[in-house]
Parts: sequence; C-alpha cells; structure tokens
Amino acid sequence: MSSEFIRQMRAEKLKARHKKAILVPLGFLLFQILWAIWQISSMDPQELPDGYMMFLYQLPPMNAIMLPLMLSVIASRICDMEVKGDTMKILFTLQKRTGFFDCKYLTCLKYLLVFVAGQGVMLPVLGTVNHFGSLKISLYLLYLLVTFTVSAVILCIQQFLSLISENQLLPLGVGLAGCFLGLFSMFFPAPVARLVLWGYYALFSCVGMNWDSEINKILGYYEIPFPTVSFLLFLAAGLLIYLICRTIIQKKEV
Amino acid sequence: MGPVIATESLTKKYKEKVVVDQLDLRVPGGSIYGFLGPNGAGKSTTLKMLLGLVKPTAGNITILGKEVSSKNRLTILSSTGSLIESPAYYGHLSGKENLQIICTLKNLPETEIPRVLQIVRMKDQQNKKVSQYSLGMKQRLGLAAALLGNPKILLLDEPTNGLDPAGIQEMRELISSLPRTFGITVLISSHLLSEIDQMATHVGIINQGELVFQDSLSALHEHSRSRLLLRTSDDQRSFSYLKHSGLPAEWKNGSLSLRTLEDNRIMQAVSLLVNSGIGVLRLEEQQMSLEDIFLHLTGKQVSL
Repeated sequence: MSSEFIRQMRAEKLKARHKKAILVPLGFLLFQILWAIWQISSMDPQELPDGYMMFLYQLPPMNAIMLPLMLSVIASRICDMEVKGDTMKILFTLQKRTGFFDCKYLTCLKYLLVFVAGQGVMLPVLGTVNHFGSLKISLYLLYLLVTFTVSAVILCIQQFLSLISENQLLPLGVGLAGCFLGLFSMFFPAPVARLVLWGYYALFSCVGMNWDSEINKILGYYEIPFPTVSFLLFLAAGLLIYLICRTIIQKKEV
Repeated sequence: MGPVIATESLTKKYKEKVVVDQLDLRVPGGSIYGFLGPNGAGKSTTLKMLLGLVKPTAGNITILGKEVSSKNRLTILSSTGSLIESPAYYGHLSGKENLQIICTLKNLPETEIPRVLQIVRMKDQQNKKVSQYSLGMKQRLGLAAALLGNPKILLLDEPTNGLDPAGIQEMRELISSLPRTFGITVLISSHLLSEIDQMATHVGIINQGELVFQDSLSALHEHSRSRLLLRTSDDQRSFSYLKHSGLPAEWKNGSLSLRTLEDNRIMQAVSLLVNSGIGVLRLEEQQMSLEDIFLHLTGKQVSL
C-alpha cells in the first residue's frame, strides 16, 4: 500500500469524526435482530430444527427491503459533507480524483462490512440459543458473500449519486425506490427481475421453500445450487459500474 | 523575476460558447497580480484551469517554469495554495480539525497548523465548529488552509466576496503582507477595481474571456492622463470636423474630448476649429480615472 493511499484513508477517517455513521449499520442490524427474535418467538417447537434454513430463505428478501435504504444513508452521511462544504475544489488540487473516489468507497464499505459481520454473528448466536440444529457453513458463507457483493455494487451507485447531487434527497429517494423495486422484482418474470439490481439479494438466494398451497403450509426448505456463472457476471457488471461511476467523477468539473 | 505562472493561448469552450479565449497570462514572481474583470468574464474558469479543476479546451499552462500536464499536475500544485469562490470546509469539524485534513493530504506535520492560524489571526477560534463561523472566519480559515506548507503561489478567487467592510480591510491587509513577509506570489481575482488598485502590483483585465490589458498597475495608471476636454461654440460640429481630420476626438455623455495631450495635435485641432468658424471656449486637461480606463477597455460598468 502506498503512503499516499494511507494518507488519503487517514484523511477520510479524520473527515468522518463526529459523524457517528457507525450508528447507521448498527441501527439496521438491531432492527434485524429484533425482527429475527420476533420470528423465532412465533415459531412452533417442531419448526426450530429448520430455523437456519428458514432464516437463510427469509433474510435475502428482508435485505432487499432494508439494505438499499441503509446503503443510501451511509453513502449520504459520508459524501454529503463534501457537497455541503464544496470541498472537492480543494481536494482535487491535493489528491487524485480516482484516489478520492476509491478511499471514499472503502470508507463506506467499512460500514457495510460492520453490518454483514454483525449478521454473520447474529444468526449462529440466535441459532445456538434456540437450538436450530446444525448450520451448513458453506451455505451461510455464500449467503454472506451475496449480501456483501450485491450491497457493494448498490453502494457504489449510491456513493456516486451522493457525490454528484447538490441535494441528498435524490440519492435517498433512489435508495428508497430500490427497497420497493427489490421487493417487487421477486414477483416479476425472471428476465425482467434480472434487470433490477436491488433484486439480486433474492435472485442469488441458496435456499428454496416447498409450499403446499392446498393446506397452506410450508413443507420444508431445500438447497438451490449456487449460480456461479451468473454471480461472476454480476461481479463483472459491478466492476464496470464502479469504473463508470469513478470515471464520471474523474472527469467532473468542479 | 520571470513569470511564475504563464499561459499560452489558454482557451475554454462550453459547446459553442467561448468562456476563456486565447489567454496569455504572465504573472511575475513576487507580485500581487490582480485579475480583474466583470462578473462572468472568465476569471474563475481561468483560475480553475490553472488548478486543474476545469480542463482547458486548448492552450498550455506553465507554473514555476514547468508545463502542467495530467501527470505532474499534483506535484506542481503542491507548491501552490488556493481559495476558489466560496470557502471549502467541513462544517461538522472544528477549524483545527479541518486543517488537520489538509495537513494529512499535503503530508505536512501538524506543527504547521498553529503557524498558519497565527497568520490569519484565528488561534482563539480553532476549536470551534466551522459551521458556527462567520463568513469572514471561514474565508480566513480557507486562507490558512491555502498557506499550509509555505506555498510559493497563492491563487485567490474573489476572497473578499460577501465580507463586511472590516472583514474586507482585514483580508486585504493580510493578502498585501504575503509577498513581502513570505515571498509568496499572489494571483487574486476580483470584479472590484478599487480592491485591485489597493493591493495589486500587476493587473490583468479580462472581458468576455479575452485579456484586454496586462501590465503593472503603474502602467495602468499611465493611461489615466490622456484626455483633453473641449468646450466650443458648436461641440457636435467640432466633433465631426476633428474626426474627419483624423484627430482622436471622442463624443461621450454630451461632451467633446481629445484623447491626446501632444502639443502639436492640440494646436492642429484648435486651428482647425477656429479656421472653420467655431469658437473655442475652453480647453481642460482631464485625468481618466481607473474606472474610465476599465470602462474603456471592457465597455462595461465596473463596481467600485
């Protein structure tokens, strides 16, 4: 790591002082923990051994509803200080614009990581306490990987919008719209759902559910093979989105 | 000392609109270069091009003898400080914390901070949140940030904009002291002629993107002694006679003047009028004010 990069990251850390941005992922995490406890409290004792699978099935749509908003708030919290203070005209005489965008992104990513790590701890702890049975680690890691990757791509767009918008209402509005789109995309035909970035939390879900419509009851959960090729294509598209956003900021006149 | 900032045919176009046109700026080392022009003349765009914030459509920029390119831009700019338009700041942080960020990015020790705060007389307010600062204090903090690291050049864009009279006076004194105290060359833009007149040693006047005058302030003042006011029995007829004879007559605001003080030309004008049967009632030498010169050069009213 170059000393220039370390300096830029340190500057980002200095800028984030007093912002209390860490409260954003912690707040959303707390909400999910409360939701999970409420879910567990309404489960029958015979459903508990299937608890992990149930959560791995239910958490992706929950993430689709909550995370776009959380990401827009994180990005806005970290980026609006640059817009409000009109600081880019001085920063761009001191550091490379690409470095600025990268370090900003890494700073935002840190808060996303806090949330994903929190989720990573939340489920095993709740499962152990409530005797969920055994957790298939590979399935769980895939779930966390998907949550982090899809969020990272959305975060890039949110950061870009927050940096170019005079008013943070636009990026926050996009975040909110993303929540609804992500949720509704689950009911779209598959080719259309693939066009909705916010819906990928559910698209990459590794757990499916057997539902008996006659007796209106869940018969059980099953594993879905992970769509590795689609995931790699998604990663490539995410990288492209990142490069496009960064290039626009790089060329932007301030 | 040679120019520390030089531009060659510097041009900026937005689609078809030319904002800065073929600018050849020469800022001598150790000077306070007043970059004067009406609002919208292209001053800020020029300064932003010098700082790499706006990409020129054409032309070259040389700073401290090195031609600026995308590769060496940041290295060259490390010897400069800037304050462009409104001050840039993080409102949720204190003045000192704001300067710590600049120090980190410039790779400077934080011991620099008390020094620059001393220069801008802000030591007592350094721990206060910047969002609670007055505009004058924000401007001074911006100047402190620009002074971090002992820059060789300072680029200041309308630094007194929005300040109260006391703040303006304080900022002027501060800027005027920089070349003699720290050897800094200052390029300051303004639409206020009186401001430049009080601070600058050299002047560049830009109008509609074009540099219409560039020289020392004293050379600009030289222009202010070149008019002879004439009162005759028929001023309008006199004007057309003088114009026809190729004399530099001027008809403005209902009065006739000659833009020369050469004895021969005056004699020639007076005899022409007398021989044409026009009575010469009064000849009066009139000094052109700086405002008149500005108006003459730019064709626009200047703020005082």
